[in-house]
Parts: sequence; structure tokens; C-alpha cells
Amino acid sequence: MTIFNSLNTSASALTAQRLRMDVVSSNIANAETTRGKFVDGEWQPYQRKMVEIKEKDSFSSMLSRAGTGQAGSGVQVTKISDDSSPFKLVYDPGHPDADAQGYVKMPNVDPLKEMTDLISSTRSYEANVTVFNASKNMLLKALEIGK
Amino acid sequence: MLLFSNTITSLENALKTSNIQQKVISNNIANADTPGYKAKKVSFQNVLNSEMASIKATRTDQRHLEFTNASTTGAVVKNKNSSYHSNGNSVDIDQEMSDLAKNQIQYNALVDRLNGKFKSLQTVLTGGR
Repeated sequence: MTIFNSLNTSASALTAQRLRMDVVSSNIANAETTRGKFVDGEWQPYQRKMVEIKEKDSFSSMLSRAGTGQAGSGVQVTKISDDSSPFKLVYDPGHPDADAQGYVKMPNVDPLKEMTDLISSTRSYEANVTVFNASKNMLLKALEIGK
Repeated sequence: MLLFSNTITSLENALKTSNIQQKVISNNIANADTPGYKAKKVSFQNVLNSEMASIKATRTDQRHLEFTNASTTGAVVKNKNSSYHSNGNSVDIDQEMSDLAKNQIQYNALVDRLNGKFKSLQTVLTGGR
């Protein structure tokens, strides 16, 4: 048990939320990207990325949880995965990436979804900053014992 | 004669509990978006038990329950039945944030009392000068 445990927990959450924000900005930035991946001599549009997060588990934390039930040690990102929902088809015969029928495959990015994700991660980030400051003040207060 | 009274030990235990509480709250808030995560709580019963341990009690009969002197400071328990989000997460962020504020004030109050205790000891040691 170290005194910085709760600070490390909050820090891991800040990292995870920051990554969520990064992925959201990447999605919004690439909302119109028709050339995301080059597969079999053909351009595929950008695929929306999603972040998978789970509770952080180290061997020591699992061991101590098996014994007495411990607080846990934060959160971690396991994977950034692709959204496999279908691409949007837009009729634009003049587009360089249009197919024989004149349709262009556009990325499966929904700006509405991205904005709610962005707000959600911003709020979580703020909450974790508050917790971080609270823990920090407690540690500083502990240093005042016996002064 | 005890120089350091039981009060200091009680305060120390309460500080430990407060510390665990802080860890649990920060972990809950850190996992507010984690699918399937269940919020944890520091169970009050154990806190109560550890406070009871500082109360002197005499057993008049062998069959009476023992007043254990264990210095445990709250166990972390998980509530597996509740759910706040469709993804199985049970963190109530409002509850956690108010618990956080409460815990911080309590911690500060405990440190203040501990300091007060040391101050009065010092007054005794210096003979009131």
C-alpha cells in the first residue's frame, strides 16, 4: 500500500479519457476521408475508431482482492477497435473515388455520436481532476500532522 | 500511565479508513465509463467494529461474545445487483462526488483533532509555558 495509490488511480483515468478524446478528434477529423486504407488495389474509406476500456488489473491487485477486497487500481485501455457498421453511400459521379454507378463510399462516422462521446469524456476528465486535487489536498494535510 | 491516549489510536484508525475510502472513490470515478464495472463501497460495519474495539468492555460470562481488538479499518465490498447504465456500470457519479467532498472534510477534521491532541500534550510537557 503506497500513499500515492489514489493519485495513480486518477492519473490512469485521466490518461484513458485523454485517449478517448484523441480518438474522437481523429474520427471527426476523418469524417470525410475516402482514402483511409489501401486494400487490394482499392481505397477504403476511414473506419470509425472506438476505445475499449476496462478496470486495471495487475497481479498484485488481484491477489490482494482475493484476500480482503481492495480498492482497485484504476482503469486501462485494452484496445482501439474499428466500428464495422456499413459505410454511407453518397451519389457523386465526379468524385475521383466514385464507383461505376457514381456512388462514393463515405466513412461511418456520425458527428452526433462523436460529440456526445466528446462531452462524456470531457466531463469524466473534469471529475477525475477534481478527485486528483482532493487526494492531493489530503496528502498535503497529512503532512501537517504534528506541526 | 499512558502518554498517548486511546484517542490517538482511534483517530489513526479513522484516518486509515478515510484513506481507503478515498482510494475506493477515486477508483469508482476512474471507472465511471467502464462497461460492466460495479461500484465499490467501504462497508460501515467494519468501521463501526474498529471503533468499538477502542471501547473497554468486560465479559462477565465465558459464553458472551468477545469484543475483538482487531484494528481492521473497513472492508471493501461490491454491490453486484444495481446498474445505472445499460452497459452494466453501477457508478452513481453524483453520489461519488458528494462522498468525495464528505470524505475530504472528514479527513481534514480528523487531522485537526489529531493536531489538537498533540498540542495539548505539548502544553502539558512545557508546563503551560
